[in-house]
Amino acid sequence: MQVSRRNFLQLAGLSTLGAVACNFFPEREFIAQSPSEMPEDLVTGIDNWYATLSPTGTESEGLVIRIMEGRAKKVRGNPLYPINQGSHSVRAEASLQALYHPDRISNPMVRTGNRGDGQYRPIDWNQSFDILRSQLQNLSDGTKLLSITNPLTGSLAHIIKTFSEEFGSRHTSFQPLEETVFNSTVKNLFGQDTLPTFDLKNCAFLLSFGSDFLSTWLSPVQFAKGFGEFRQGTNRTRGTFVQVDSRFSMTAANADQWIPLKPGMEGKLALSMAQVIVSEELVPQTTIESMNTGNTFAELQNALAPFAPETIVSELGIPALNHDKPEDVIRKLARDFASHGSKSIALGGGSSAAHTNGLFNLTAIYALNFLVGSVGQKGGIRFNPKAPVETLTHTSASATTTEWIKIKQAIDNGDISLLLIRNANPLHGLLNDIGIGDSLRRDDIYIVAFSTFWDETTEIADLVLPEKQFLEDWGDDVPKIGPGFQLIGMQQPVVKPIEPLNPMAFSDVMLRMANELGIASSFPLNKTTFLEVLKDNAASLHQLGRGSITEPSFDKFWNKYLQQGGWWDEQSTSIDGQPTPPMLIEIVSKHTSPSIIGPKGSNTFNLLPFQSLALTDGTGAHLPWLQSTPDPITSVVWSTWVEINTKVAEEMGLKEGDFVTIEGSNGNSIEARIYHHPAVPPNTVSIPIGQGHTSSIKYSKDRGANPLEIIGLPIVDHIGSLAWASTRIKLTPTGKSSPVPKFEGIVLAEATSEHEAVIKITRG
Amino acid sequence: MISKLKYIPMVLGPLIMTAVVIVLAIFILRAWWTTPFQVFGMGEPPEQPIAFPHTQHVKIDGISCAFCHQNVIRGDAATMPAVEQCLFCHATIQGDTAPPEVAKVVAHFESGTPINWKKIHRLPDHVQFSHEPHVRFLTQTQGLGIEAACATCHGDVRNMVEVEQVRRLKMGDCVDCHRDNIYLTDNKDITDCVTCHY
Amino acid sequence: MAKQHKWGMVVDIDRCIGCQACVIACQSENNVPINEEVDFLSRRAKQWIRIDRFWEGEYPNVKARFIPVFCQHCDNAPCEPVCPTYATYHNDQGLNVQVYNRCVGTRYCANNCPYQVRFFNFFNPSWPESLWNQLNPDVTVRSRGIMEKCTFCVQRIRRAERLIEGQKGEELTDQKIKDGNFMPACVNACPTDTLVFGDLNDETSEVVRKSKSDRSYRLFAELGTEPSVFYLKKVDPAAKSH
Repeated sequence: MQVSRRNFLQLAGLSTLGAVACNFFPEREFIAQSPSEMPEDLVTGIDNWYATLSPTGTESEGLVIRIMEGRAKKVRGNPLYPINQGSHSVRAEASLQALYHPDRISNPMVRTGNRGDGQYRPIDWNQSFDILRSQLQNLSDGTKLLSITNPLTGSLAHIIKTFSEEFGSRHTSFQPLEETVFNSTVKNLFGQDTLPTFDLKNCAFLLSFGSDFLSTWLSPVQFAKGFGEFRQGTNRTRGTFVQVDSRFSMTAANADQWIPLKPGMEGKLALSMAQVIVSEELVPQTTIESMNTGNTFAELQNALAPFAPETIVSELGIPALNHDKPEDVIRKLARDFASHGSKSIALGGGSSAAHTNGLFNLTAIYALNFLVGSVGQKGGIRFNPKAPVETLTHTSASATTTEWIKIKQAIDNGDISLLLIRNANPLHGLLNDIGIGDSLRRDDIYIVAFSTFWDETTEIADLVLPEKQFLEDWGDDVPKIGPGFQLIGMQQPVVKPIEPLNPMAFSDVMLRMANELGIASSFPLNKTTFLEVLKDNAASLHQLGRGSITEPSFDKFWNKYLQQGGWWDEQSTSIDGQPTPPMLIEIVSKHTSPSIIGPKGSNTFNLLPFQSLALTDGTGAHLPWLQSTPDPITSVVWSTWVEINTKVAEEMGLKEGDFVTIEGSNGNSIEARIYHHPAVPPNTVSIPIGQGHTSSIKYSKDRGANPLEIIGLPIVDHIGSLAWASTRIKLTPTGKSSPVPKFEGIVLAEATSEHEAVIKITRG
Repeated sequence: MISKLKYIPMVLGPLIMTAVVIVLAIFILRAWWTTPFQVFGMGEPPEQPIAFPHTQHVKIDGISCAFCHQNVIRGDAATMPAVEQCLFCHATIQGDTAPPEVAKVVAHFESGTPINWKKIHRLPDHVQFSHEPHVRFLTQTQGLGIEAACATCHGDVRNMVEVEQVRRLKMGDCVDCHRDNIYLTDNKDITDCVTCHY
Repeated sequence: MAKQHKWGMVVDIDRCIGCQACVIACQSENNVPINEEVDFLSRRAKQWIRIDRFWEGEYPNVKARFIPVFCQHCDNAPCEPVCPTYATYHNDQGLNVQVYNRCVGTRYCANNCPYQVRFFNFFNPSWPESLWNQLNPDVTVRSRGIMEKCTFCVQRIRRAERLIEGQKGEELTDQKIKDGNFMPACVNACPTDTLVFGDLNDETSEVVRKSKSDRSYRLFAELGTEPSVFYLKKVDPAAKSH
């Protein structure tokens, strides 16, 4: 090579710069690129905000994404979207890291080594279609196919449902901690298929039993939005919020009063409140009569008598609070609750539903709303009408633990030989005790996994198909917890997959398969792309001629649909049928205590696992922002910790950071670090769910432990869900210790806490 | 033998230190007092993948700067035009002798590959520069034409066969102009550090 | 002539639920490096905005209080006079500015800040290459040896000034800041509307109205730092009177 003066100077300049700045500028820093083509709305240096939504789990958040040069830069809540009204959660923000995660699967892969070896060979899409089609065709019977997906709604749920019906296969959705107990309660008590929402904005007295609704339960951003107004909204007095919970959750920390009680006793406390309300006649007699038809008032009082605060207080395990005796706490609570009438809400879920008596607990809790008349009222429980278009009303039910046991048996019996897994990771979330892991590792089944990332389940699949991340994909969403009126959310691709990623939409693959298998006779399978299905459904919405978009032509309607991130009609609040109040005596007759399984003796505690704010059930564990999000109460990051009462820990000689072995009811054990927590009831410990991944993906591998591995198989009576809060564990110190990674202590915030100016509490 | 070796670090250490200090001093002085390195296009322009003559396009054809660098009047970056924009004209106009450079552009368009021009004007990462307010000031407040406005910093591009950097575009250069013109603008914060550094 | 702004914030502690949405929104907007586990263990994690949690009382009468803390943009900032290189100073818009290219990393400012909101880059930031795609081009990636802190998302303020005041010649009002996504990222994210951002010089703005609330106070006001951030006290009916 001839070294010209120019070359020499360039080299000299670059090397000096590089050496001294210790920062090698990559070649692209010196390039100004002329792209081949430039879309009209894409201008270098100017940002565009596009509406879409995040269909993560049950919560639905409308988002607008800031796009610059074809890259997603920032998330913000869609200000128009009625669910989150411009705000968003940490999980929505971290979807950017899911989009640009270094370990995304870029090409279809087929397994070459033994199952679980992680040896794969990239293939192209046509080959993978051939494999998938032949696998489907080779099935002797449609029922041998089982599809497992994340919870689906809207058009995608319709496609998968129709596909399963036409093919004759089974479909189930997977959520590690599903809410079947809550769904059943809503169905039984309110007669509704859709889940209700809580009008926190207009509520005056909020009573929550064990549900962590501000951090992870159902639709936290929607609830938080209402909660802000509940606290300091304009033109209203400040609401009062009481949390009854055996764990001091983030939601409990925000309550005006936190009432700890023995795990699983929430239903009995609710009945005790009912006893006070009935015996002191704190609500109109007609209301009580409506919940007592066929019986006399005396009979009702007799039935409730065993739940009088004085009688039942020892069983509930409520401590004295602020020098009030426990029975007075209950009495006061019942009076406060009743005094706010239809502007009182009693809600329950989370740990109160996750006991063997979870169904009784929730039934008793939600029955309180009938007593004060807040069902279907402003400031009370508000029902969600069905989606206006029939093709959008489908949802996929999450299988309960008992159903998973049956599925496992079906796989073992050879009744299922092909599994289609999409965006679900049963190997991490589903309990070891079911033994699903062994079943999925059998040689006689074939697993096709659609996923954006490698995870435990994808790593044992035979065919791995890279899926589009939701920011690259089309979709629509009918939120499970709607805003109280009809709402269809619209998800549009805001960025293209960047090189070398070559993903495809799950929906498009399924439509293609339906077409090639010859089962594409009816809507929606007769469409070739998901976009056409969405447009068809949008056309049905357009024909309604009402709601947030009033455009005469469909093209304009469609544009606005995308632009606003959805369609909604605030007037459409009516529901099918009004709920009839439940009979109190009937609820009383069903009362049960939780049966808690697990070791007994010294150093044993009730275990209350919880979904951590950022990682939830573990779906976000590979995203560094979520891993580094401090837990709101403990500020612990990047690991699993055991929350234990400070005094108890000190008596046991456990210091913060000491590793303990946690032995569960099934004999399995995990290890985690101790965190001293002043607000944990002395007889319980809490461990977050979400860590303990073993897959090779960056940021989540071999980090912490998964408490679902030790809780055994306690089952909610009559429902079959996992009663994940009904277990006991035994703590044994291991002698090992290492500092807990946490934000607390990094800055000297303690210094400010003693300062009067920081916490000055006024009487409100 | 061993005892002598022991002294080697004592001699070498200071020597290396002195050398490092000298190299550093030269670098700092050079960075401070001289024009930027040639890699930034000062003095001698880098060789571009396609020899694009601004003389032909601006001087002879009379195309305005903002026709190709169209974002200069509305956004942060002036932007290089998309290849398809070259083809607006070059799909039909091939020049008198159908120069090979035009064929290169067409090839880029047909293969859908971007053209990687060498950057000539480059600011450090800690500077946030937006073209739009500068062009707005020069055209609206100062009443310059768009070409003269561009020439304020980029020099007489219409007469450059190969574009090169003519102003040092170091902080002193920016601040001089900001300070001189503060009385002409509404914005009294233009000499504030956080105008450009954030 | 454009109006002189004085940017400020109101934090209603009674609304704050501690959900950390602001924390991650800030990291995303401002190219704050990923806080790895080792950063927490070595006490070098950076959070321009953090939510302090304070315990009060003992089990079972125990309370946890959340207070979002970030740079207070003090009018009389203790960090400013100690900077030997003039890298931190107060500008005419009420912002406490950190000029990265002036900073030589003495860390005097962090030591003198009573709010502990300044963070030092002990390491060069690093992301896996694919995550570079997410970095905000409007914000400088700070290299090693530089102090950084909350800027009130000055890059968004600048954008607002360019687009609204410059191009359209209109005044920046609360509504225009909201509509144009010019609010700081934390304010955008907050699900309970705890944080309110606006112009303290604009008598009609929400920040001015809220800062005059009878619950209003400022952190360490008695130190004479004159913060631009107003806090509204937590209301607790059950609290013992102080």
